[in-house]
Formats: sequence, C-alpha cells, structure tokens
Amino acid sequence: MRMVGVDVGGTFTDAVLYDDQSGELRWAKAPSTPADPARGVLAAVDRNDVDLGATDRFVHGVTIGTNAILERKGAPVWMLTTRGFRDTLEIARTNRTTLYDIKTLKLAPLVPRQRVIEIDERVLADGAVLRPLASAQIRAVAERLADEAPAALAVCFLHSYVNAAHEEAAAGQLREQLPGWFVCHSAEVLPEMREYERFNTAAINAYIGPLTRRYLEALTGLLRGRGYGGAVYLMTSSGGIVTAARAARFPVNTVLSGPAGGVAAAVHLGELLGLRNLITYDMGGTSTDVCLIENLATPVTSEQFIDGLPIRTPQIEINTVGAGGGSIAWIDSGNMLKVGPRSAGAVPGPACYGQGGEEPTVTDANLALRRLSPTLKLGGSVALDANLAERAVSRIARAIAGLDVPGAADGIVRIAVARMVSAIKEISVARGHDPRDFVLAAFGGAGPMHAAFIAEELEMSHVLIPLRPGNFCAFGALISDIRHDHVRTFRLALDAADLSAIEPGFASMEADARSAMMDEGMDPGRITTARAAGMRYLGQSWDLIVRLPDGSDAVAEMEQLFHEAHEQRFGYRAADPVEIVSLRVSAIGQVAKPELGAWAVAGTLASALRETRSAYFSGKELPVPVYLRDRLPCRARLEGPAIIEEMGSVTIVPPGWRAEVGRLGELQLTRREP
Amino acid sequence: MKTGVDPITLEVVCEGLIAIVREMRASIIRASYSPAIYELDDFSCALFSTAAEMVAQSEDHPGHVMPMPWSVRCAMADFENDIRPGDIIILNDPYRGGTHLNDVTLLYPIFVGDQLTLLAAVRAHWADVGGMTPGSYSGLSTNIYQEGLRMPPIKLYEGGRPNQAVLKLIESNMRLPADRLGDMKAMIGACRIAEQRVHRLFAKYGLDEVQQCIATNLDRSEARMRERIGTLPNGTYVYEDYLEYYDEGRFDPVLLRLALHVRDDEIVADFAGSNGQVPGVVNSSLAVAGAGVFVALKSTLDPGGAVNHGAFRPITLKAPEASIVDVRADAPAGAHGEVRKRVVSVMLGCLSQIAPGLVSGDLSGSSFPNSIGGMRRGRRRPYVYVEVPAGGNGGFLEADGSSAFVNVDFGNIRSIHTAEFLESEMPFFVERCELRADSGGAGRTRGGLGMRRELRLLGEEATYSVLCDRAVVPPFGVGGGGSAAPFSVTIQDRGAEVAMTTPGKATGMMLRRDAVVVMQSAGGGGYGDPLARDPRLVAGDVDAGYVSAQRARADYGVALDPEGAVDEAGTTDLRRTLAAAMPALAIVADEACPYEGIRGRHRVLRVAPQLAAKLGLRSKQLVEILGRHPAPLRAWVMLDASAPPDAIPVDEFGRRVLGVEPGQRVRLRTLETLIAPGERR
Repeated sequence: MRMVGVDVGGTFTDAVLYDDQSGELRWAKAPSTPADPARGVLAAVDRNDVDLGATDRFVHGVTIGTNAILERKGAPVWMLTTRGFRDTLEIARTNRTTLYDIKTLKLAPLVPRQRVIEIDERVLADGAVLRPLASAQIRAVAERLADEAPAALAVCFLHSYVNAAHEEAAAGQLREQLPGWFVCHSAEVLPEMREYERFNTAAINAYIGPLTRRYLEALTGLLRGRGYGGAVYLMTSSGGIVTAARAARFPVNTVLSGPAGGVAAAVHLGELLGLRNLITYDMGGTSTDVCLIENLATPVTSEQFIDGLPIRTPQIEINTVGAGGGSIAWIDSGNMLKVGPRSAGAVPGPACYGQGGEEPTVTDANLALRRLSPTLKLGGSVALDANLAERAVSRIARAIAGLDVPGAADGIVRIAVARMVSAIKEISVARGHDPRDFVLAAFGGAGPMHAAFIAEELEMSHVLIPLRPGNFCAFGALISDIRHDHVRTFRLALDAADLSAIEPGFASMEADARSAMMDEGMDPGRITTARAAGMRYLGQSWDLIVRLPDGSDAVAEMEQLFHEAHEQRFGYRAADPVEIVSLRVSAIGQVAKPELGAWAVAGTLASALRETRSAYFSGKELPVPVYLRDRLPCRARLEGPAIIEEMGSVTIVPPGWRAEVGRLGELQLTRREP
Repeated sequence: MKTGVDPITLEVVCEGLIAIVREMRASIIRASYSPAIYELDDFSCALFSTAAEMVAQSEDHPGHVMPMPWSVRCAMADFENDIRPGDIIILNDPYRGGTHLNDVTLLYPIFVGDQLTLLAAVRAHWADVGGMTPGSYSGLSTNIYQEGLRMPPIKLYEGGRPNQAVLKLIESNMRLPADRLGDMKAMIGACRIAEQRVHRLFAKYGLDEVQQCIATNLDRSEARMRERIGTLPNGTYVYEDYLEYYDEGRFDPVLLRLALHVRDDEIVADFAGSNGQVPGVVNSSLAVAGAGVFVALKSTLDPGGAVNHGAFRPITLKAPEASIVDVRADAPAGAHGEVRKRVVSVMLGCLSQIAPGLVSGDLSGSSFPNSIGGMRRGRRRPYVYVEVPAGGNGGFLEADGSSAFVNVDFGNIRSIHTAEFLESEMPFFVERCELRADSGGAGRTRGGLGMRRELRLLGEEATYSVLCDRAVVPPFGVGGGGSAAPFSVTIQDRGAEVAMTTPGKATGMMLRRDAVVVMQSAGGGGYGDPLARDPRLVAGDVDAGYVSAQRARADYGVALDPEGAVDEAGTTDLRRTLAAAMPALAIVADEACPYEGIRGRHRVLRVAPQLAAKLGLRSKQLVEILGRHPAPLRAWVMLDASAPPDAIPVDEFGRRVLGVEPGQRVRLRTLETLIAPGERR
C-alpha cells in the first residue's frame, strides 16, 4: 500500500509519501502557487518522485476556502430566502461581542442586502406547508441571474431542517436553469434549527463553493492524468477525511482542513510518546494555528466562528493568528513596530528570497540574526540572500532611533513571539488551563525556530518538535480515518411508555452510514460506528451530547449516562424527566496508516556538526554550533545555544535550553532550571 | 507592580478568574429553563472580594454586573458575621441591592475552612417573578407590589440545606414555578463550578498569592482609568434629557440632569436637579444609574477589554434622595434599565463637549422589553415570551452606527429569538423581521437602523405588555446630526391598526388570536451635518433600501437620477437651499425656572406668537436648539406674548448645555412627536 499526503499552506506545499512494504517515509516541499494551487501540489509530489499510478491513497489538506473567507475574496453569493426575512444575515443575533466600546461595528454580512431575494413560500415549525413554493419566482430569479457571471446561490428557507422540500425544489430548479453556478441549500449543509446560524453556514458554503469545486476538479483531473486511479480524499475540519466529491459539495466542512492534519498528527505522536497534554503550535509562512489537547482528546466544537461568522458544523477548536514566517514588519502611525497581518506569501516571498520582495519579514529577521543560514535552502528549494534580508530589516532600524539591524531584527522576532503567546493564552489561560501543565508541540516550517522563545514567555518547560516539522500536517492527513457524522432529529421523552423506537432508529442510521461508506469503496470489515444522543431535561433548550455504548442495553442506561454527564458538566442533576432530541451516529472507515520507525542514526554529536556560526541571542553575538538533524544520533543531548537544521525547518535551542533526540527522531527541548 | 507576584502568575491567576466566570456562563446557558437566559444571554456572572469589590467578569451584561457590588454590600451588611459555609443568598429587591424584580441574584460565598475568601454571583433575568402581568414587565405599574415578588437579601440555603420556606414562597408567587426552580438550580450549579475552580486555584497558587494577584490587578485597572480621565480638561459639563412617564394617562416627561465634574484624574457625576421619583416605572437605584456613568465613560475613553472594580474607584456618584436615580420604597423600578440608558445619553451629551471624536450620536436608548403571556394550545402549559428587539447605534467620527445591534450598556446579549425557535416553542408566527428604512438619524455618518418585527398570535388570547422609552422623545444626533425614529408598537387586529394610548408603555393588553404585534425599534442618532455626507454613500443607502429617495432629498439634500446615481448639480442646489432654510436666532438670558409638568418636569421654550408663526412653530411642539456644543437642547414650545419678539430666552443651565452666551445665535429644528406633554391619546 502506498499513500501520499499533501498539505497546501500559504507559502509552501508539503508532501509525505509512505510505502507500507518498505516502511519508508519520504518528505518534500515545494513553493505554493496561490494562483493555481494544483501546480504546487504536483511539484511537491514530483519532488518525492512518486509514481501516482502505483499509489493507493491520496489525502489532501487545503485552506483555499479559509483564505477566501479571511480575505473576503469568495464568490459573490445570492441568497434566496423566505419573504419577510431578507435581513436575517444582517440583523444577525444583535449581540455585541466587544464590550465597553461605543465604536464597535457589527460585522458586515457575507451576502449584501442587494443580493438577497425574497421568495413566497412558508413551512411551519412542524413541517406543514403554509404557503406553497412560488416556482415562477424561482424561474424569474434564474432568468435574471443568467445574465450574471456564474457565481453561487444559497437557498435558505425557514424550518427546512424539518421539511426541506421547498429548499430542495428551489435548489433543483436553479441547478437546472443555471448550469455552472454553485447551488446549495441550508438543510443539506446543516439540518439544525435556528435560521441565523444555519443560513450563515450555508452562505459560507456557497461563498467558498465555486473556488473549492474548481480547484478539486482541476486537481483530480491532473492526478488522473498522472495515472492515479483512487479516490482523492480531503481532511475535514473535524479531523476525519472525506472524498473530494463530498468536499466539493460541502466545502464549509473543510475550512480547517490544513491545520486539522497537524492536530491529528500531534495526538498520534503524543500517544506514541506518552505525552498526554499538548498545546500545538503550527507556524507556517502566512498564519499560525494553535490548539490545546488535554489528555489526548481532540477538542471538537460546533460553536466556532470564522472571522466572526458562525459555522455550526463540527470542527476542531483551533485558534488562528494571521502571522507567520512571511509576515511583514512595519511601523504604525504611533511609531510602534508591528508584525503582520500582511504577509509576503509565496510570491514575492520574504526579501531574502530575492524575488522582488523589499519589506522585512519574520524570516528576514531570523536571517539577519543569523539563526537561519544563507547556505541553507529553505524548503529545500529556496536560496536565501542575507544581504537582501539585512537591507530590508534596516528599513525598520532607520525608522526607530537607536536601533541597529540586529536590534530591529530581534524586535521583529520578539513581536511575532508575543502574538503567538497571546494566541496560546486565549486557548489556555483564558479557558482555565495553565500552559505550564502542557508540552508545546511545535511544527510548521517556522514553528521550531520560535518555539523555545514562546515556551519561555509562558513558562512552559518542555517543547516537542516532531521529525520533519514542516511536513507534519501532511503526515496527519495520512493517519486520519474516513469519518462521516450523521444526525437525525428524534424527540422522545425517556419516561414514555414505549421506548422501542430508539434501537431501530439507531440501527437504521447505522445501516445507512455503512452503506454510504461502502458506496465510496470502503471495505465493510473496516467500518465501525459509534452512537451518541442529544439529550436534555424536559424544559431545557440546549441538549447535551452523550456517547452511548452499542446495543439495545444502551437504552436502559441512557438516562443514567445523561444524569452523570449533566452533573459533570453543569454541577447538578435534576429529578425532571429526560428527553432525547437527536440520535447521532458517526461512521469511521479505518485506513492503513504509516508507522513512525525507531530513529536509527548512530554516530556522535560531533559527526552531526555542520559548522559553528556566530549568531545573535539577546543582543549578543555568540558562537553557535549548527547541527544537521538527520545526522544527530538517537539520545544525543546538546546544550543551547545551538541550531539544528533539516529539510524544511530549523530548530533554535536558545541559551538556557537543552535538546535531546528521542526514540522516534523527535526533538525534546527542556529548559534548564534558572 | 507593588508586590512580589511574578508577572506570569499574575496573568495566569487574573485570567484564570475570568475563565471561571466564563465557565459559569457556559454552564448557565446550557442548563437553564428561561428562554431569556438560554437564548438571549440575559444574565451575568462575576466574582467578588469580601470587600464587595468586583474581581472578575467576562462577556457579562454591564447593566447587571455594574450594580452588583452594591448587592454584595447590602447582603454583607444584612448578614454581618453570619455568612457560613453552605449558605446561598438570594435577592431581587431594587431598594436593597437589586435592579428590577425580574433580575434575581444569587450570592454564593466561597470558604476555605471557615475563612470567607470570595463570592460567586449570578444575576439572571427570570421570565416571570409574579406581579400583575405575565412576564412581570408592566409599563403602567404605579407601585412595586404590582411588579412581582420582592426579596431583600435572604438565605436560600443555610449550611448546605435549602430553606424550604423561601422555595415555597417563590413557588407560590410566580408563574411557571417549575421553570423558575430550574433556573435557580442552573444558577446554583454554576456557583458550585466556580467554587471548585476557585479552590483549585487556591490549591495551586496559595490563598495569599491569589489575593495578592487580585489586589494588584484591581490597582492596575484603577491606574489605567485614572490615566484616561486625566486626559480630559478639568471643568464641569452639563446635559439634560428625559424619561417617558404617563401620569394617569397624560404624557409627563421626567427630567434627568447631569453635571459631570472632571477634577484631574477623578470624576464626580452629580444628578442634582433630576426629577423626584414618580409612581411609574422609570425609577432606579443609584447603583443602576452609576452603571450608566461607568459604561459611557469606559466605552468612550478606554474602549474594549474586561473590567474590574479598580476602574470604578475614580468615580463618585451624587444624587438627590428619592429621585428617579435613587429610588426609595415603594415606587416601581421596572424600567431601571431605561434610567441607565438615559444616563448613557446624558453622559454622551456631556462628553461630546470635551471629547467629540470619542462619542457617537445617541443610541436607540431603550431595552424595549416586550412580553406576552398565555397558554399553549393543547399542552395546557402557560408560556411567557420576552424579547427586547435591538435598535440602531449612533454614527461616530469614523463610521455609520450599526443597525439592530444592542447598545453598549447591554453587553453581549441577543435581543431576539430566531423565528424558528419561537415558532417551535410558542404559539407565534413571525410574519417578518427586517431593518426599518429611514429610522437612522441623518448625519455625515448615519445612525444605524432599527428593526421591524411582526409577531402573529396563533394561540388563544394572550396578554401583551411593553415597557419602553424613547417612544416619544427620539434619540438625538450630535454635531448637527439628526434624530432617529423613535420606538413604536402597534397592534393589527382584524384589519385595524391599534395604536397605544400611552406610547411605549402598556400593561396586560388583551391580544386576540391572529392579532399581529408590530414592534419597531428606534434608530441611532446621526453624527455631523447630513449635508456634508458623501452623496455617493447616500445613493448607496438608497440602493440598499436603508434610506428612501424622499429622505435622501429632504435630510441629505441629495438628488438622484432615475438610475439611482447622484445628480451632482441637483444635489448642490438642494444642499444650498436646505442650509439656508434653518432659522438662526439670538438667545437672551432668562433665569426663570424653565421646567413644567405634572409630576415630571420638562423644559419649555417661551416663544412670542408672532415669532412662532414666522418660524412655523406650534404650541407644545418639541424643538431642538443647536448651539456651539455638539449635542442639542430639547424643549417644548410655549406660546407666550411676553417673550421677546426676535430672540429666545434660555436659562443658565440651558446655555451651558449649548455652549453659548446671551446674544449669540442658535439654530432651531422641529421634531414631530406622537403626543405632547399633558395630553392624553
């Protein structure tokens, strides 16, 4: 079995190849090609020398949808909605998330008022039709839009989570009359009550739909052209994988596609190493993602917002900061040094790439501090020019009195570090976790370069740097199983006389889930299902999702399991009757996964020494040994300051820190007691 | 930093305390039984020191949290030395630590051994606390007994055991008692979570270290607030505005006056001259009025971020006893929030004189609580509906105000349910919910729009109550910006549109099946001269339907061609004509008391009949006087033959509001209102 994982970042595209016959893992990076991301994907695959004809699985992490949302560069979306509700997205929930600021502005809706079209139709809360769908109006809309360049349409009608017939009919008619348009309807994206959240989730789906679909079609075509015959899989935001066909219909489920791979990989590595509490810190060229993993449980929520817009589909709780190695440093009107959110991206890239970039980036600063080497090829392909880096950084040094080039470079790095520290505080300290109880798992091309500095600020004493940190997300794509989540509205009080409908309800959902997965080619022997139910006390509004064991005995235990879960979560249990509101089944299709072999490099520390370079730490120029990671023997220990270089990344061990090579080739950095 | 606490520990402990409050919040939302709590977030949590100083809060409702220290002080005073482990205190008494009766507060003392260390507090809006009408919101109450069950600080639990007498009294005096007890359990549950987390924090860092972090953090906030106040010029700044009260059905505006004294790094907010309390809902405690002062100050001078008690220390409040801002028994206090909102208005008026770039036009300015009570068909279970549809916000220097967005003193609460939730849980049909065109005040930056929400009753008959302000006297503009459209409610019943006899205030109106309640929230005030607004922005507003073409012409002087593009020449002409049309008049000093009213007091502007005829002014018409200061002075016209023939008389307070001396000229602008003082509809 041969498998390929590819993760597209803002700056680099990373690939991992695994062959389970030989047990060989191969890694490669190529510059991302934002204008046509599939080119970068193929370049990264080619660098691995992969025979796609002999490859069995291709798994992909891609953030083009996310970037389109963050930069508000998605497709124009038209929304069709129930008459009287054109302002649902703009009125939103009327709440103000920034307190004590009279100038706070409400977020602009994704679909401007001029593009919302009201349609006569009305379904009631019980699914009954009050007013039939005015098909003539749909036809008129389609005729009007036929003159526009094909874009996206979201059909969002009230109560479609109970009865989707109107939405389905309208969407069907529009798909027929407007070929080339991306059309979705709210109930297929998220069959849940509360129109604002559902409509918004559907609007996001439409906003990134055309882009995602175009890309996946192009990529699949290219892969086919290279002889790849299997399914193309995508990482989802909840940490599973789905087929490209499914992802193209519901791109909203893949907005965290890239970073989800990194979290999955970190959980995997944590399991192997017995490190159960991790904070992941994934810093690429353009952005940084952090996630807190307690007791190896991936935190999943359906209450996420992306840039203030609610997405109610399940996602890993990841906090994203718009700063990475390519983030540009600048001086604001108050003469303060700032870093990001603007990034040099892949093109032109940092000034030191010599591709025409002139503004200083975090990467330029690290080169000016000589923590990066001009003789190292970043990502294995890009040569760095120290003179260009210094010239760019000197723009900052000139603007602030008393600052020389190393001082300005140090300032840029420190500000980038402060932004990461604050992002990690938001997911740890601000939620009642002490970062000192966690290990900082640092990856992404730029992560290992700053990890120890971040850990120092947070008083964390342990940093974990996996092998090939620059390709870790792509590796995560290969160790993730296929996952489909199914929900069915099912209301029944547990004190009802007849509970016999529950078991067949679960059983039929499980059967549907299995057959859907088998339709996608999954071997039935590798499919497992897991049950859960949304439950609450009668009179409550929000339900608690309780995992249930399989089998009919579970029904008897349900009530007990709910009481326990409620007490743990809310601090009490009530004597009130318990009610089921939904049945949930997750189907997991197990896939073959790569194995990380034991780190077999022998030799001595001295044999791994590449050079001794003078580099800046805390304003002082120090002689620093530079090691090649691939030659560091297992269990090798070294004291900071030291620099460890490898394909795709550089680890900095600052003064006061010690690094040790672990049994799987990982680096474990620990802080010496001050 | 005055102590030896290391900065990381300080940060971890202080953020940790805020995280505990966040966790309390999450727990309450998910476990409560009142839609106002679980759908709208109309509740707040906080942690208090034993000195009744607020130590931590998070995304909590400022109107709830800010007056809470007073609740803790009252409870501590009442139970001096008799608060023991396992006790839980409940209160809702507006005269004794509460806000209005619907806001029920639990105080949960957290002990280490027998040492009281911190108090966890939850204040949540209960959907009903008894009283004369479902939802207990009663716009026309004349005393507090009509508003529900009043609880001064009493022990709900003693030594870990529930006090059955209290529970039984609550159960037998409120509608939907089972839901109320469910809410109470959710609140207690949240406090228990806080207790566990606080204990964990003590175990990890030590009690002394935590207390030291708290003290340092409060000092830090105090220093920051002092530094910000220090940027304002010393002096005394005054403003006045109105709350809406009906005396036996006659409109009788109630005066709110503020003198804001800035002395170096301290502020004194003095409400001297404000109306005595009235037998109507527009009374509040000084703690609630103080919340308005603080919110306005923090939100303009030092926007953003979490707040703790240190930031309150530089502020002193003064008010006449038994006035609308310092209520005493047994006047009602149902509209306490309206008083807080009007305090925000007068604060904006004062601050606009010294920091015009930091303020906005007036906010929509009412909570707009609408409640409907009845029985669910078939289920034979009563329901209580409450919604508070948000209005617009004022325009400000950099941008138009946001539409249908809760005002800054309302925090992060959601003001409306989703239509799907409402229709699933209650016998209503939502006909429409949309932005209300032309409701935003005109300005160089426009006020945000209010919303129009229509609710049809599907079930048996029900009763409707509303308790709203700014239904007559509209939100004001700043710097020449125009007023917004006021709040409005009408009932459509069998083809007829029924307006309320007392706009904004109703108690227990009967609704028949199929009646439609049409709720319209106010917009926000404009900022700056509307004739200076970029005509292309006006054309965009017309295209989106935020502003009508007629109002684009009348308010902004913008002429549009048939395609909706700006007609440049037409616009220039129109703007010239409009600018010339507003009359300018000299003022003369007149120190006679300018206020009239039944129990309320409203400013009258004495105008000679001939001058009135020339200016097109009617008796009892509401006018705005625009002086040198950004915010206008409002008054009602009184025709008086003894008034000067070519000038208008204004007293010293009025002149200070306007920033003008006798002899200087001001401009006049008229406002149309639904009802005039002393009138009945």
